[in-house]
Amino acid sequence: MDSISRRIKIGFICMSVMLVCLFFISMGVGSADISVMDIIKSLVNPGDVYMGKIIVSIRLPRIIGAIVLGGALSVSGFLLQVFFGNPIAGPYVLGISSSAKLFVALSMVFLLGRGVNISSLVLVVSAFVGSLIAMAIVMSLSQKVRSMSLLVVCGVMIGYICSAITEFVVAFADDTNIVNLHNWSLGSFSGISMDHVVVSSVIVIIAIVFTILFSKPIGAFQLGENYARNMGVNIKRIRIVLILLSSILSATVTAFAGPISFVGIAVPHIMRGIMKTAKPLVMVPACFLGGAIITLFCDGIARTAFAPTEISISAVTSVFLAPVVIYLLVARKEAARG
Amino acid sequence: MDKSIQLSELNVGYGQTVVLNDVNISVAPGEIVCLIGANGAGKSTVLKTITGQLKKLGGVVYLDGNDKDAMTESDVAKSVSMVMTERIHPELMTCFDVVATGRYPYTGRLGFLEDSDKSAIYEAIEMVGASEIINKDFSKISDGQRQRIMLARAICQDAGVMVLDEPTSFLDLQYKLDILGVIKRMAATKNVAVLMSIHELEFVPAIADKVIGIAGDEVYVAGTPEEVLTGENLEKMYGMKPGSGDVICSGLWNYSTSIKRLL
Repeated sequence: MDSISRRIKIGFICMSVMLVCLFFISMGVGSADISVMDIIKSLVNPGDVYMGKIIVSIRLPRIIGAIVLGGALSVSGFLLQVFFGNPIAGPYVLGISSSAKLFVALSMVFLLGRGVNISSLVLVVSAFVGSLIAMAIVMSLSQKVRSMSLLVVCGVMIGYICSAITEFVVAFADDTNIVNLHNWSLGSFSGISMDHVVVSSVIVIIAIVFTILFSKPIGAFQLGENYARNMGVNIKRIRIVLILLSSILSATVTAFAGPISFVGIAVPHIMRGIMKTAKPLVMVPACFLGGAIITLFCDGIARTAFAPTEISISAVTSVFLAPVVIYLLVARKEAARG
Repeated sequence: MDKSIQLSELNVGYGQTVVLNDVNISVAPGEIVCLIGANGAGKSTVLKTITGQLKKLGGVVYLDGNDKDAMTESDVAKSVSMVMTERIHPELMTCFDVVATGRYPYTGRLGFLEDSDKSAIYEAIEMVGASEIINKDFSKISDGQRQRIMLARAICQDAGVMVLDEPTSFLDLQYKLDILGVIKRMAATKNVAVLMSIHELEFVPAIADKVIGIAGDEVYVAGTPEEVLTGENLEKMYGMKPGSGDVICSGLWNYSTSIKRLL
């Protein structure tokens, strides 16, 4: 008991320190290197420092975006894992991110084609609708497909279908505004503005607060529906809560940064390993912190590794996190045999 | 006499298919009632209908005189605890954590355990004799120990009714005796009404105040163990050859007398 709670405390402290360090490193490193002192000065008063404007108007939103959205993505993955009662679940591998992407692309092309400007909220709402539709498909498949691994294969296929349709949509819409869509549709924080950051932070913070308020029934749900019902949990309500919260979180990420691969499935697994507990009250903040760290780190690599060329963030997260997913699939199979 | 649980003209089944009609069972505080019958006779169906896993197809379930349908989820949770055959697969939970989930209806919004919750948890763990494994990972203990923990979990839920579905199946002899001993003591000291299904008829006389025998699509016989466990009834319930029921019964009663002395 005590050793676990000490472990949790140390885990949170270490991750917080890592996140702060990564924040300053990411602010400083890039096409122009800036010292820590200059970063702090420019955060206080951007006009005083050479390059201060670059930091505050370009790097800062991107970095906060990576922190908030990376955290949101991991929490979304954790909620999906609770919902399906299985660690092999996440918004990307179940095709939810790609479906959200398709709906965002469709509404962009449709509205831009009519000369309507798109607000951040419209992006989120279209992504949310896309997420819910994919979730409905995955849920109906899960009635038929008992094996989680098979469900993931189905999810990946849904993802491919959605990505293919998105490519068609983007290719046939020759508006210059759509050019940006290409970067975004592969997953990238490069186009994110301070306006996006504000909207996504508000949504994500509200969703996380709700998740924490529901952590008690979510924890009961981890014991399976029947025992949760016996504990007094309203099963219908908690299922709806899990679907809505996981969808709104992953939809917000997709709306502003496109689909980011494997963070949602791998981070909760890594956090369970670090914290040695699966309690939602610990896992939700831990997944948020862990997701923020990993996403910020991967985004840093995406923009600096082959500078001045940027690579998509999914390319980086895939390299680091896909092996974790493979490990999960293999370990799971062994457990089933034993 | 007030009944902790009363099933009134209950029809149970899966979906639209009725398995048992017109089930009338009542259990008083401190009383143990055993449900017996062949595989697939509908014992689990009755128990799952009480716990809400299955929708009832007719009739009423009364808990302490109140219609269960009119009660809140939380009040039902405080009235009925359960140990079912379904295995749970909690991740990274110690035995203490699993038992603690029984306190769910009593904890606050975020589920933090108060001192009263903790003492109820420790008391329940002591009652089932699982104090040594309290900090072990639930997924790494034996079936027998797991059943003890699930029983402790149900005990600390502090409900007036406990429903158990074959709590002794797949356990070795000593674990069977242990588990049934705990159930018996718990029913007596905490005044809990126990409704359980069981396959091992030899344990029934030692533990049951009342026995309900299921056959066909209805309650076939109800009464004391002496009234129910007769050769004729066994032949009917388990579809045995004529005459074989009496052969079984003579041995059964000998064995159960020995068990009675141990429990």
